[in-house]
Amino acid sequence: MSGGIARGRLAEERKAWRKNHPHGFVARPETLADGSANLMVWNCTIPGKQGTDWEGGYYPLTLHFSEDYPSKPPKCKFPQGFFHPNVYPSGTVCLSILNEDSGWRPAITVKQILVGIQDLLDQPNPADPAQTDGYHLFIQDQVEYKRRVRLQAKQYPALV
Amino acid sequence: MAAASSEEAIKAAKVLMVGAGGIGCELLKTLALSGFSDIHIIDLDTIEVSNLNRQFLFRRSHVGQSKAKVARDAILKFRPNISITPYHANVKDSLFNVDFFKKFNVVLNGLDNLDARRHVNRLCLAAEVPLVESGTTGFLGQVTVHVKGKTECYECQPKPVPKSYPVCTITSTPSKFVHCIVWAKDLLFAKLFGDKNQDNDLNVRSKDDNSSKTDVFERNVDEDIEKYAQRIYDHVFGYNIEAALGNEETWRNRRRPNPIYIRDALPEGVVQQNGCSQDHKNEEPEPSEPSAMVSLGLRNPQEIWSLADNSRVFLEALKLFFEKREKEIGNLIFDKDDQLAVEFVTAAANIRASSFGIPLHSLFEAKGVAGNIVHAVATTNAIIAGLIVIEAIKVLKGDYQNYRMTYCLEHPSRKMLLMPVEPFEPNKSCYVCSETPLVLEVNTKTTKLREVIEKVIKSKLGMNLPLVMVGATLVFEDGEGLEPDEAANYALNLEKILVELPAPVLNGTKLTVEDFQQELKCSINIKHRDEFDEKEPDGMVLAGWSGPVDKQVTSNGEKKPVPSASRTEELDGTAEDISEKPGMKRKLNEILESKENFDALQTSLDVGSSSAQVVDDDEDEDLIMFDEDPKQGKKKRLQ
Repeated sequence: MSGGIARGRLAEERKAWRKNHPHGFVARPETLADGSANLMVWNCTIPGKQGTDWEGGYYPLTLHFSEDYPSKPPKCKFPQGFFHPNVYPSGTVCLSILNEDSGWRPAITVKQILVGIQDLLDQPNPADPAQTDGYHLFIQDQVEYKRRVRLQAKQYPALV
Repeated sequence: MAAASSEEAIKAAKVLMVGAGGIGCELLKTLALSGFSDIHIIDLDTIEVSNLNRQFLFRRSHVGQSKAKVARDAILKFRPNISITPYHANVKDSLFNVDFFKKFNVVLNGLDNLDARRHVNRLCLAAEVPLVESGTTGFLGQVTVHVKGKTECYECQPKPVPKSYPVCTITSTPSKFVHCIVWAKDLLFAKLFGDKNQDNDLNVRSKDDNSSKTDVFERNVDEDIEKYAQRIYDHVFGYNIEAALGNEETWRNRRRPNPIYIRDALPEGVVQQNGCSQDHKNEEPEPSEPSAMVSLGLRNPQEIWSLADNSRVFLEALKLFFEKREKEIGNLIFDKDDQLAVEFVTAAANIRASSFGIPLHSLFEAKGVAGNIVHAVATTNAIIAGLIVIEAIKVLKGDYQNYRMTYCLEHPSRKMLLMPVEPFEPNKSCYVCSETPLVLEVNTKTTKLREVIEKVIKSKLGMNLPLVMVGATLVFEDGEGLEPDEAANYALNLEKILVELPAPVLNGTKLTVEDFQQELKCSINIKHRDEFDEKEPDGMVLAGWSGPVDKQVTSNGEKKPVPSASRTEELDGTAEDISEKPGMKRKLNEILESKENFDALQTSLDVGSSSAQVVDDDEDEDLIMFDEDPKQGKKKRLQ
């Protein structure tokens, strides 16, 4: 069966996460209506870092793993239209460690990906813009940029 | 690690010892005196009085305290500058995960049970840390080295588990004393004094079921106890044997047993004897515990009683149960520490042995067989501990050409008591250290996921907290870190039939199973089968699995080596398996003149642990395995 390697690695990631994961983060295989869980798609939540404009937001992120994982990185997606200079309009995150041709290494764990994206939230990389809206505001109007970030944080309250 | 000097290797080493009991105390001392200076010890046990004779780091005042901690303190008194880190905990605790194991250069086992040994083996494989495994049983012992990819893992070869016997060997065709003991203990004793609702095959051979519906073993209302005892005697040793003789086919190639009736065993009559025993009772103060030996004036438990004495003990013990311990009748379970029970079983086994021409045994010996007792020998533990350190040093130096499995023998072979054997290569079909899939035949249309998990994944594969996957779909997880809704889904899945699971499990489906803690994973190919017969009571059959062998599959044991209580016999199975495996044939047979030594050794380690019969499970405690009737066994096996 192809995907044996991906599946095996994902089962390891799953166990590692269950045993230990950073506070406030969620990462779990997508639960289907029939009560099974699909290891190839993980539903995650990234908390905005304390002391930043992102604080208070719990941002939903979906990781889509391919059969080529971990040779290839997962595709990481926020909801469509997510406001951030390095997130494409589709929601896909643009980050060096998630790029097969630059920073991705098979040893990078789900935990490292999520923490990396949390860091990215408050430290956008203007060299790699992925959307006009977020990028222009970040460069040209820090006040408005911050307002938009805080507004978005309120749109994603903690799920209780 | 490059080959360094032993001193350097020792100085740099961080070692984990699992177990601080009989072997552990010796091992910790030897490690400390050999210059090891960073030792971690895990043991969940506390010190008991019965440990003190050989676990020499402990004193009476330590009883009740943690073995790991007290052992550390004792060593620090004479080696104050080394670091010993004790953990009073179960090695299966999640604290001791793969990352924990990775911190060590070598792991040294001094365990007393199969379960923990398998767990440590799997963690060592996952962490890629070499394991030196050990065990002792009386004069026998062994040390083996397990290094991932280089030598076989602890589970590459099936580990014999203590067995029950084919029912027909026990009920009809005993050939060894142990068969008589099993008959006396598990059938007769259970029938007379145990739970009446338990299945009992004692009477399978007698054809008296049409005579009346009443149970011949029931004492009739107002039946005189002596009459009852004699009636039972005549029934089981006389009538039943005579009935069995009627089946000519059975005895074509066997010695025919002699029926024994009271009138044959005690021709002078029983009454006198009873009178005698009465006298005794009058003379001596009533013993605190009723004992047929005391009543009959038999004093030496090491003496072999005559048939007449055994018959008297049988009748007297039966009578005493009814007179002194009537309330317990119906709930009794054989216990090796129950004097009257041991007397009864000894006598019954000996009378049966007489019938079948099997040598009789003393009460002391019979108790050993019945209780699976092997006395621990401190010297063996010390020798084994020394061998562990020798192998550990080779491992630390990376000197893998010189790894040896070493067996400590009871009888010299080629004038050697310590038998070194080159380690085997990993078994390519080992389900623990290789990736070969297992095959599970199961009726996928009627079997629930729960049954597969309980009967196969947990009990056969030895997992604790399994994750079950079909492809990339998780259908079950167990253990911590689950969201409530996830746990609820999995609970529902457990009760689903295989084909109805979210990812249906059908003929040809490949299940992947992992353990949350052990880092063990394996694949199980599912093969659908509609029908299972009564020899497959689980309703499923797992193949390709090198776990404990069950030799007792057939009920017509004639053609097979008769499984017996003696581990040596069971071990023959192990040795055969080894030599049959291609690529596994080694110098083993050349080196070992006497196979039985090797066989006995092979098993010695685990046997104790998984035996339900073994009361005390300490590897070195009094018990583990019993090498029954060595003289008899030997003749047969020497080839």
